Amino acid sequence: MTRPILEVRDLSRHFGGLIAVNHLSFAVQPGSIHGLIGPNGAGKTTTFNVISGFYAPTHGQVIYQGRDVSGTKTARLAAVGLVRTFQGTTLFKEFPVIDNVRIGCHASARSSFMSRILGTDRAVEAAATRKAEELLDFFGLGDLRDEKASNLPHGHQRALGMAVALAADPRIILLDEPFTGMNPEETARMMALVRDVRDRGITVMLVEHDMQAIMGLCDTITVMNFGSLLTEGTPQEVRTNPQVIEAYLGSPAHAA
Amino acid sequence: MPNARTSIWTWAFGLALLAGLLVLPQVLSFSQREIAVLLVINVLLVVSYRLMTLTGEWSLGHVVLMGVGAYASALFSKRLGVPVPVSMLLGAVTAGVAAAALSFPLFRMKGFYFLIGSFAAGEVIRLIWKYFTFPFGGPKGLKLIPGFPDIGPISFFEPEIYYYLCLVVVAISVFILYRIERSRIGLTFHAIHWQDKLAESVGVDTFRYRMLAFVLASFFAGLAGSLYAHYIGTVNPTRFDVEEMVYVLIWAIVGGTATFYGPIVGVVVLTIINDVILRSLGLDEARPMFYGAILIASVLFLPDGLESLVPKFKRMFGSAKSTPDREVAEAREAS
Amino acid sequence: MTELILQTIVNAVYAASYMSLIAVGLVLIFGVMGVINFAHGELYMAGAYTVVALYSLFDWPFFVSVAAGLVFVGVLGLVMEYALFRPLRDNPLGGLIASIGFLLILQTTAVLGFGVRMAFIKPPTQAKIEMFDGVVLTHQRLFVIVAAVVLLTVLYFFLRKTRFGWAMRACAQDKEAAALQGISLNQVSRIAMFIGAALAGVAGALTAPLVSPTPYMGHSVIVTAFIIIIVGGIGQLEGAVAAAILYAFVHTFVTTFYDGVVADIVGLVLMLLVLVIKPTGLFGAKDRA
Repeated sequence: MTRPILEVRDLSRHFGGLIAVNHLSFAVQPGSIHGLIGPNGAGKTTTFNVISGFYAPTHGQVIYQGRDVSGTKTARLAAVGLVRTFQGTTLFKEFPVIDNVRIGCHASARSSFMSRILGTDRAVEAAATRKAEELLDFFGLGDLRDEKASNLPHGHQRALGMAVALAADPRIILLDEPFTGMNPEETARMMALVRDVRDRGITVMLVEHDMQAIMGLCDTITVMNFGSLLTEGTPQEVRTNPQVIEAYLGSPAHAA
Repeated sequence: MPNARTSIWTWAFGLALLAGLLVLPQVLSFSQREIAVLLVINVLLVVSYRLMTLTGEWSLGHVVLMGVGAYASALFSKRLGVPVPVSMLLGAVTAGVAAAALSFPLFRMKGFYFLIGSFAAGEVIRLIWKYFTFPFGGPKGLKLIPGFPDIGPISFFEPEIYYYLCLVVVAISVFILYRIERSRIGLTFHAIHWQDKLAESVGVDTFRYRMLAFVLASFFAGLAGSLYAHYIGTVNPTRFDVEEMVYVLIWAIVGGTATFYGPIVGVVVLTIINDVILRSLGLDEARPMFYGAILIASVLFLPDGLESLVPKFKRMFGSAKSTPDREVAEAREAS
Repeated sequence: MTELILQTIVNAVYAASYMSLIAVGLVLIFGVMGVINFAHGELYMAGAYTVVALYSLFDWPFFVSVAAGLVFVGVLGLVMEYALFRPLRDNPLGGLIASIGFLLILQTTAVLGFGVRMAFIKPPTQAKIEMFDGVVLTHQRLFVIVAAVVLLTVLYFFLRKTRFGWAMRACAQDKEAAALQGISLNQVSRIAMFIGAALAGVAGALTAPLVSPTPYMGHSVIVTAFIIIIVGGIGQLEGAVAAAILYAFVHTFVTTFYDGVVADIVGLVLMLLVLVIKPTGLFGAKDRA
């Protein structure tokens, strides 16, 4: 079996007396779509925030491409290919769509300070703009290039958020509840986009509540409950696991 | 995106402005020339301040960093015999280094707390100047600071000649600051201002960029301080206190923060009102009162700043002629 | 030495008294209205000059002049609320600029009316209390201490026990929720502004015979007031009082035993420490993770 691109080993995160994540371990295979689910308060968001550098682990490790990156800050993780998106529509609302993605090209559009002042960075910037345009076309946003980001409909804003993340050349992208608040049509479109992202060779990990999307997309699903690992497996395995059903619905004896 | 016709207007305006600036000292009285020199220096001060505010950080220590440049340039030239042009640059560098050092404690605070923290840091520096008679001269400050040396037959002693020196230095500096704002660096500053978490998620090291904005702004503030020190010939702690900082805030806010030229409009208009118009009306003691009333009126009636008047002027001039801009825009919409 | 220490303690209590009146006024305005009143030092100055005018020039009785000062400066506060802060409610930077403009107007009015030089007022009483060991507390200073204690206690009960006080605290916590409950934001702002300004004015009026009023006396006061409310915690009234006491003691002792400029530096360093270690202030809410 190939080496996992991302691994969480015996991870714990405490907030004062509250244990939000409790000795969690799982691994994400490169090129897969990996889901992280659990009922409210299960600790998925905290796990997500620890992996993406917003919090440091209290115990345990985050291993990325074989290297321990526990406690590394978000910006440094992005520089080595671990990029996250945000819940809701976190965008540079006042900027045009194209500039949103151009900012995402930050890491690849390097240039010296002097060349910025003298304007000799034109070639680098033109390449970044072309890359941004290519990404916009990929997400079907090409025509909206000069629109103010806040003018976009909700679904398009989500796609733009993914375009921005993709501009940072991730090897693995962490999607934070990308399907929240979407109608079935938007959900289907977003699912197709997620598969397209995976087909570009990028590993996808997502935290999500929408069961249809999770079951339809993921190769592997990690289920959390009360901060710990509940179970892990394929969608079929997870869907029929009685513990999972119980965690979401309460005791099976009361289901009748 | 700017089209060809707008460029021609901008060029015409730019050339007229340049001509006006070059001719200016000839039409002014002596005391007005002195005001002109200080005005040019203040333009650099406020434009450098704008660079900091791009990242969303409003510092109250900017004028103190101007003072750091002033004191440093004065000390390098007076005590260590460094030639004045070199000491001026060293003054600017010293201000930049001071800003770099201050970045570490100050950028742990955000927003309002950064405002107060920068004020406190500035006050500590000023009080150090006040307290240590050696080498800073204590409350009386430093006197007999050497002036800019002659270049051949040109002496920089007279205000009008020093004005041209400042004009050259400030023009280059403002150009650099403009280029920074328009480049990806400026784009990144804006990104940090509006959504710093999002910027981080694509690899932007927000601390380093905030520090960069602070250091660059302080470098140019220090340069303004150097120009000031070698013109006036003396520096003292009072000259860089919070009252002067408040003026910079006023110029930036009243002028407007949405455009690069907003603060420039602010400092020019308000200086002309305060130092020329009000002074000529002879009400010297009552000047601050009228100034205060004008400030209140401007925030009540021009909440978007003086810069918001510029598009209105443009429309006034544009409506008299045919407007290809509109035709281009309509053609684009039809396609 | 003991005598010096005790005298310094007495001096510090006096300083803490008028500083807490000013700081609490500033916190009240900021807490309820969300606006930084840069002209607060000039409100203090206006109170002092009311006494200069009424007591020193027109020979009114001292305490009547002080009461007049309280009312007059309170009314100035109402003017600021109505003309400046209310129209600029959505524009905090604009409100800041407007308060600076008002500051300039007040200062210049004082200059035009009374001149730039210091006004010397004969204190209404030269009587002193001789405490043990030759430690002296003048009656004039005692008035300030008593006034501070009385006014702040009254304010405390006003905020906790009366309907208006409750409304003000509600606005300070959450304006929108307060409005939904039917609290008139305008009315609460007016009351907060009147009280906040009046506190500064009364501090100025009572200390007028003890300092030499100048039109620029507000400047150092506002700087100190900001330091105090940062150290105490923005929006924390009890914090403002405690921080005023702390600052007054530190500053007075350092000035007496060392140097005034050093005392200023120490005060600022104290503020910087608070900002770096616990930005919400000594009495503020705990920082979020």
